Amino acid sequence: MRKVAIVGAGQSRYGEFPDKSIKELFLEAYQDMAKSVDRGYDPKRVGAAYIGNLGCGGFQLGNMSALVSEYVGLPYVHAMRIENACASGGYALVTAAMDVMAGVHDVVLAGGVEKMTDVSGLKTKYWLGVSGDTEYERLAGTTFSGLYALIAQRHMHEFGTTREHLSMVAVKNHKNGAQNPKAQFQRETTLEKAMKAPMVAAPLNLFDCCSTTDGASAVLVTSAEKAKEFTDTPIYIEGFGTASDYLAIHDRVATTTLEGTRRAADQAYKMAGVGPKDIQIAEVHDCFTIAELLAYEDLGFCEKGQAGPYLMEGHTQITGDRPVNASGGLKAKGHPIGSTGTGQAYEMFHQLRGDVQKPTRQVKGVERGLLHNVGGSGGTVVVTVLAR
Amino acid sequence: MAHVSVPMYWRTIPQRYRLVGMQCKKCGKVNFPPKGVCKYCNASSEFAEVRLSGKGKVHTFTLIGAGGAPPEFAEQEKAGGVYPVTIVELEEGPKVIGQMADVNPKDVTIGMPVRAELRRIYEEEGVVRYGFKFVPLEGGA
Repeated sequence: MRKVAIVGAGQSRYGEFPDKSIKELFLEAYQDMAKSVDRGYDPKRVGAAYIGNLGCGGFQLGNMSALVSEYVGLPYVHAMRIENACASGGYALVTAAMDVMAGVHDVVLAGGVEKMTDVSGLKTKYWLGVSGDTEYERLAGTTFSGLYALIAQRHMHEFGTTREHLSMVAVKNHKNGAQNPKAQFQRETTLEKAMKAPMVAAPLNLFDCCSTTDGASAVLVTSAEKAKEFTDTPIYIEGFGTASDYLAIHDRVATTTLEGTRRAADQAYKMAGVGPKDIQIAEVHDCFTIAELLAYEDLGFCEKGQAGPYLMEGHTQITGDRPVNASGGLKAKGHPIGSTGTGQAYEMFHQLRGDVQKPTRQVKGVERGLLHNVGGSGGTVVVTVLAR
Repeated sequence: MAHVSVPMYWRTIPQRYRLVGMQCKKCGKVNFPPKGVCKYCNASSEFAEVRLSGKGKVHTFTLIGAGGAPPEFAEQEKAGGVYPVTIVELEEGPKVIGQMADVNPKDVTIGMPVRAELRRIYEEEGVVRYGFKFVPLEGGA
């Protein structure tokens, strides 16, 4: 099968944009992507558009991909909405990769878009509690903060993970987000402030949770062979893996492991012919602080149960030996659900090429990075390995 | 939208009212809530109904506060304050999620012995929905 590369990547600003529709947000990302293609972007070459989207409050569930594609000047393509909850964008990217690998299309757009602030807070909760096990988890009175809290409580019990470990994830990611001109929260926070935030679902407080965000992202995928027609520095998709799991946490083999992450990572490492030690930088799915700690363990960055100490030793700081969420992550950069996965790819494309928008956030000399995107509380997971 | 209609709820009443589990005729393990294919042996769709005791131990828990409750439970949170949600490991093996009642949220701990009781869960579309909640087991383990 053909090798695949990313030759352009763009992202809208992430945040709350009352003046922008879903179409306009997608246009912003798409134009940013077009600008990033070194030898010029020609929309006539695009054969397919895979667009990640959860639901946008239900206002355009049907034909969403065709809608945003035609708005940006791509009518008549193989347009598909890809939905796997918060992992929709990551699955859009690997679906684009599979398409190009199989030789169906040569140039494919992968993207994502979400507009979460147009609907009321109450309606948002109806539309966001949709990706867990509705019949049991929802009806026990939980939303996603509660589900990740169940995981966090057990992780603290089994491995001695602390309140401080959780809050340090938020502090680290806000520090990076402060250096990201496209992040939703471009400000730092202190450990004290993060530890004392109001409780949402104990042990998780407000600063353990990501926000609701508007945003879009777009990535241009082609074969490795054709990549040089677009740029001298393509970013290759070396490997990817995906795995689903039981939706309800109570059905899973272990409460403190996302089995989907473990299995998706195994596949991605195998396809890339690398191991966790070869990953120099990563964007992981920190929808809640505990989720970033789980990711360290389940991706093999550290031993099971050791994520807290691993974080506190500074490995994943932007100055560490394996920076995680240099973008600010879902926590500070924002989490516009359908866009998150391809938004991670946007960050990694520029990190690996060394042309991040703001040089203070640029990690120097990195050649291989990993993307980790989780749907719901782990019902779907996609892991991608990218390299220069 | 994450909304459970009355017919959807009605179909799960054996589980919610009486904790009816499905014992796999091939491997003997109890699936609760039910699966189409036994999740333990992955090799059989033939089950016998068994009624679970409802007794078990708290495997993990969370205390849901303002902002953490789904809209159907916002009223409960507003009226009664923080409420505990647990995953209980039942004595027959399966784990299941459920709210806890008759307990000070501060006193909930992992390993705590509990039993299931039929309680009011919430009200929607003018229909009161009943189901199991866990309460502390008198006399402990």
